Amino acid sequence: MRHGFAFALATAILLVVPIEAAARPPAQQASGLPRTPDAKPNLQGIWQVLNTANELPYRPEALSKKRQNFENRATADPDSKGYLLGVPRIMYMPFPFQIFQTPDYVGMTFEYGGAYRTIYTNGTPHLKGPLNFWMGDSRGHWEGDTLVVDVVHFTDETWFDRAGNFHSEGLHLVERFTLADPDHINYEVTIEDPAVFTRPWKMSMPLYRRKERNVQLLEYDPGLLSDQDQAERERKKTN
Amino acid sequence: MKDRYVLVVIALIVIITSSWAAAQQPTPGTVGGCPTEPLAFHLCALDKAKTFNPPRTPSGKPNLQGHYRARLAQSYSFEGVSGSEPQFGAKIMPWSLSPPMIVDPPDRKIPYQPWAASIGRVGENYYKYLDPRTGCAQAGVPRVVQQDPNQILQPPTDDYILWLFEDHHMQRVINMNQRPPLGDSIKLYNGYSRGHWDGNTLVIDVTNLNGYDWLDDAGNFHTDAAHIVERLTLFDPDTIHYQVTLEDPKAYTRPWTIVWALVRQKQPGFELMEEPCREGEHDAKRIIRELGVKYYFGESWRGH
Repeated sequence: MRHGFAFALATAILLVVPIEAAARPPAQQASGLPRTPDAKPNLQGIWQVLNTANELPYRPEALSKKRQNFENRATADPDSKGYLLGVPRIMYMPFPFQIFQTPDYVGMTFEYGGAYRTIYTNGTPHLKGPLNFWMGDSRGHWEGDTLVVDVVHFTDETWFDRAGNFHSEGLHLVERFTLADPDHINYEVTIEDPAVFTRPWKMSMPLYRRKERNVQLLEYDPGLLSDQDQAERERKKTN
Repeated sequence: MKDRYVLVVIALIVIITSSWAAAQQPTPGTVGGCPTEPLAFHLCALDKAKTFNPPRTPSGKPNLQGHYRARLAQSYSFEGVSGSEPQFGAKIMPWSLSPPMIVDPPDRKIPYQPWAASIGRVGENYYKYLDPRTGCAQAGVPRVVQQDPNQILQPPTDDYILWLFEDHHMQRVINMNQRPPLGDSIKLYNGYSRGHWDGNTLVIDVTNLNGYDWLDDAGNFHTDAAHIVERLTLFDPDTIHYQVTLEDPKAYTRPWTIVWALVRQKQPGFELMEEPCREGEHDAKRIIRELGVKYYFGESWRGH
C-alpha cells in the first residue's frame, strides 16, 4: 500500500549509461527559473521521484554478494530493518522530500525515516576521514545553474535498492541537481566504487514537484514501526 | 602483574567517575551574563532581551542561525534533582543536586492531575517502561533540544525554518508560512510545528503530538492532547533564552513553563555529526527482559 502511489504511476525512466557516453550539455543560465534572493535557482519545495531500476557493471567477485543480498532481501534489506537508507537511495524512495536553501547550506528533509541531509555549499572540504556516515558527507557547489554535490564517507551497510544492489565504504558520488523548469529537477548521480564496480556508472531521473494543495511531509519511521509491531506482538502474547 | 592490572582498573574508575562528577556539577559563573539558576536566568535573560538588538537576516528577521548546545538543562528531570532521587549519587550514571528548570508554576513542579502524578516523576513510566529514547526513538519536543548540539537554518525565503539535531538524527521543519493546522486525527511523534515572529522572538506552536515520547529520563510525560509553545529569544549575540510552555488538559491542571539556555558553538569548523540510532538499541531486548519493562507507546496514559 505504501508504494501504491509510485507503482501506479511507475515508468522505467532510470537510465544506466556508461559515463563516457553521456555528453553533458554546457552549463547555461536558463531564464525564467524561480530564483533565491542570492540569484541561485530556487530548488526549494517538496519533491518525489517515480521510478523503477535495471543492470549494473559489477566486478565478477561482487556479483555473488549481490545475489546473496537478493535472496535475503526480505530481512537483509536496510529498508526492511528501518535503517537510514543512505544516498542515493533516499533520493528515489517513493516518499516525498523537501529542499531548503541558504547561501551556506542546502538542507533536505525526508518523510522516510525522518532523515535529513546537510549539503555544505560554504566552500568547506570533506571532513578528514575515515568516517562512516549512513547519509555520507556532502559538499556542494554551483556550476552555473546546476548544484553539484560530492559525497563520500559512507558505510557499507546501505543498498541501492530492494534488489540487493550494494556498494562498499569507498562509495563516491557526484550528484547534479538541475532545475529544468519550475516543477522538475533533473537529478543525475555518478556512482564510483572501484571495489565493487568495474567502472563508474550513472543514474538519471526527473524529480517531480509535489503540487497537491497543502502538501507537506509527515512521518514515516519504519524503525519505530517495527518496535511498535514488536510491542504489539508482546502485548498479544501476555494477554 | 595482576596487581598492576587492578591498579590500572582502579585508576580508570577514578578518572571516569571524577570526570563524570565534574560534568554533573551545577554550572558555575554566568550564561550570557545571567545567573545559572534557571528562574534567575529566566528573569535576567528576558530583561536583557528588551534592549538587545539581534543580528538580522537580509529580510530583517532576527537571525538565529548557527550551532547551539543546551546549558542550564539536565536530562534527568525538569523538576530538578533532589537528594531523594534514586539516581542521586548512584554508582552507575550518578546525578548531583540540580535546581528545577520549571519557572512556572511557583512551586516549580509539573501540575499533574492526581492520576498522572504517579505515572510521571520517577513513577510508573520510570519503573515499568523502557525510556523510548533508550530504545532509539527520537527524543521528541522539547527533550531533543537539550541533547547534543543542534543547528538552526533560516532560508532567505522566510517560508520555513529548519532545525537540525545531532541526537538520533532528528529534524524539525517549522512552517513560517501561515499554514492552517493539521486535522486533529493526525498524530506525529515530533508533532506539527508552525512558527511566527513576536517582535524578536521566534514562537513555535506544536500540535498533533502522539504522546509517545517522554519529557525527561524520570518519565515525565504528556498525552496526545498536549499543545507545546516554544519561544526562542536571542538576548546577547551568542545566547538564546529557550522557553517552553506545555498544556495538556488530559494530564495537567494548568499550563507550565520550563526554561534553559542555548549557547552558540563558536569553534571554527563546528558541524553536526551523524548519530542516527535507526539501527536500534541492540540491547533493548535484553534490557526489557532483565528489567521486566515494556515498550512505552503511551500505554500508561491511554484510557485515562
